Amino acid sequence: MNRVLACLFWLAVGLVLLFITLPLAVVVAASLSPSSAVTFLPWEWTLDWYGALLTDRWLQPFLLSVRIATLVAAISGVLGILAAYAIVYERIPGATAIMAGLLSPLSVPQIVKGVAIVLFLSIIGLQGILGTPALIAAHVVLALPFVTRMAATSLANFDGNLDRAAQSLGATKRQRLQHIVLPMIKPGVLSGVTFAFIISFNNIPLSVFLVRPGDTTLPIAVINYLEYSLDPVMAAVNVASMIFILAVIFLFEKIGGFSAQLHGGSK
Amino acid sequence: MSTIALAAPAVMPAAPARTSAYVVLAPSCLVLTMFFALPMGVMIGMSFTDGETLAPTFAHYQRFFSDGLSLAGLYRTAMMSILVALSVTVLGYPIAYFLARSRSRWRAVVFALALAPELAGVVLRTYGWLIILEDRGFINDALMNLGLVASPLPLSKNLFAVVVGLTHVVLPFGILSLTTSIQGIDPNLERAAQMLGASRLSVVRHVILPLSVPGIVSSLLISFTMAASAYATPALLGGARFKVLATMIYEQVLFYIDWRFAAVMAVALLVMMLTVSFLGIRYEARRSARRSNREGERS
Repeated sequence: MNRVLACLFWLAVGLVLLFITLPLAVVVAASLSPSSAVTFLPWEWTLDWYGALLTDRWLQPFLLSVRIATLVAAISGVLGILAAYAIVYERIPGATAIMAGLLSPLSVPQIVKGVAIVLFLSIIGLQGILGTPALIAAHVVLALPFVTRMAATSLANFDGNLDRAAQSLGATKRQRLQHIVLPMIKPGVLSGVTFAFIISFNNIPLSVFLVRPGDTTLPIAVINYLEYSLDPVMAAVNVASMIFILAVIFLFEKIGGFSAQLHGGSK
Repeated sequence: MSTIALAAPAVMPAAPARTSAYVVLAPSCLVLTMFFALPMGVMIGMSFTDGETLAPTFAHYQRFFSDGLSLAGLYRTAMMSILVALSVTVLGYPIAYFLARSRSRWRAVVFALALAPELAGVVLRTYGWLIILEDRGFINDALMNLGLVASPLPLSKNLFAVVVGLTHVVLPFGILSLTTSIQGIDPNLERAAQMLGASRLSVVRHVILPLSVPGIVSSLLISFTMAASAYATPALLGGARFKVLATMIYEQVLFYIDWRFAAVMAVALLVMMLTVSFLGIRYEARRSARRSNREGERS
């Protein structure tokens, strides 16, 4: 009885893992398949579809997405650090309420935020900023709560005695911020910034309302294309952008991101 | 979240530099006011006002609740989200149990496999399911080649396809909350039950499942809210034949250019999600109240 149960359990684990990996494996296989119809497992391989990516059709949205994601990561990084500094370090009155306010966008679905922004801009006659400026602003609204929360957590967790020791040794506030506080919260802030980059780069529910012809981000270009064709170029686009994201994570990780934090770097 | 700010006795500023603190807070508040608070307020306001005269009215809501199409969209959204919540929790449970209890070297592999898809982005995974479920896709192709079916099975552009795709998108989050909850159960309870002669099955049924109810509830809640607000997966796997609120909102704005009706649908979606989150918060509050009661009786 127990053995049957154990077998069933392993079967369940295996099937769920198959369910999780199947679509990814299928996309990778399709991106390497020479046939243009995406069907059964291909037995020959080609990189032609990846070559097709190096045209304006895909490079332009890609570069726009990278530009927007970089700006969003930088802006929300700076704003998040500043907000966390005011709330946690300076402990201004009403800190709890202000923090709740800064995190409130998290409880509203992205599609609702997106439609609210596009309606608002249209009503007040600012349709002109649809496209890149609106995309950046909307993605900052999306990313800022995460970055603020991560920066605030790092600030709250770090050992205040270091700061007090520096102070009693005569360090000015500026010196302490520069040499103690900022280095201590760097891992938390960097993982927040990486996260901001990724959610901006992959975003669909906000971007879908804010793109303009000629100002289209990569995921939107991909779903527009998917509406009428499933060809393997799509597979190649998707795999390439996943590799790009992994490279970005690796890069931030090298600068001193999450694993330092996981291993207690912020303590 | 807000407890972070409270639990920060560590740092003591030398002299209160209040003004500069408000100055550095200003940019965040400005951005969130301009691109979140004001837009939300305006949108909710629009849903209650007449398009011509700007007079307050419930007409748009009356239209929403008397219009079969909108109600069907609301029903489909709820149905889809409930099914996703159930399948995420059922599929995630064995993996979560394994992750919480196993000490084998496979644990790291399973962990990576279970969570890695999150990095791949929603479009890639949805595209994968499109290739698999399409009329001329992976499964139908195989079935037809083997002569098992004469015409393609209707696997895409319907509730089934959307639930499969969204389950895949949400599963890592369900697994995480279930794993945390199962890890919190004292393994000695399982050992004790086994030593007293309980079979594996009854250990699962009478010890593990009841004790992991909080994890099950949070997995259901997170899955429901993520599914209800998803846009890309229903748009691609449901298409024009299976519309949910999220895709209908998009249509109202970009095709019908009916802003006020789009605002009503967005408010409906928001209210649905907030209601579910509220039920979750209330459940959590009741549970911790019960627990502190019990502890009070004991001491």
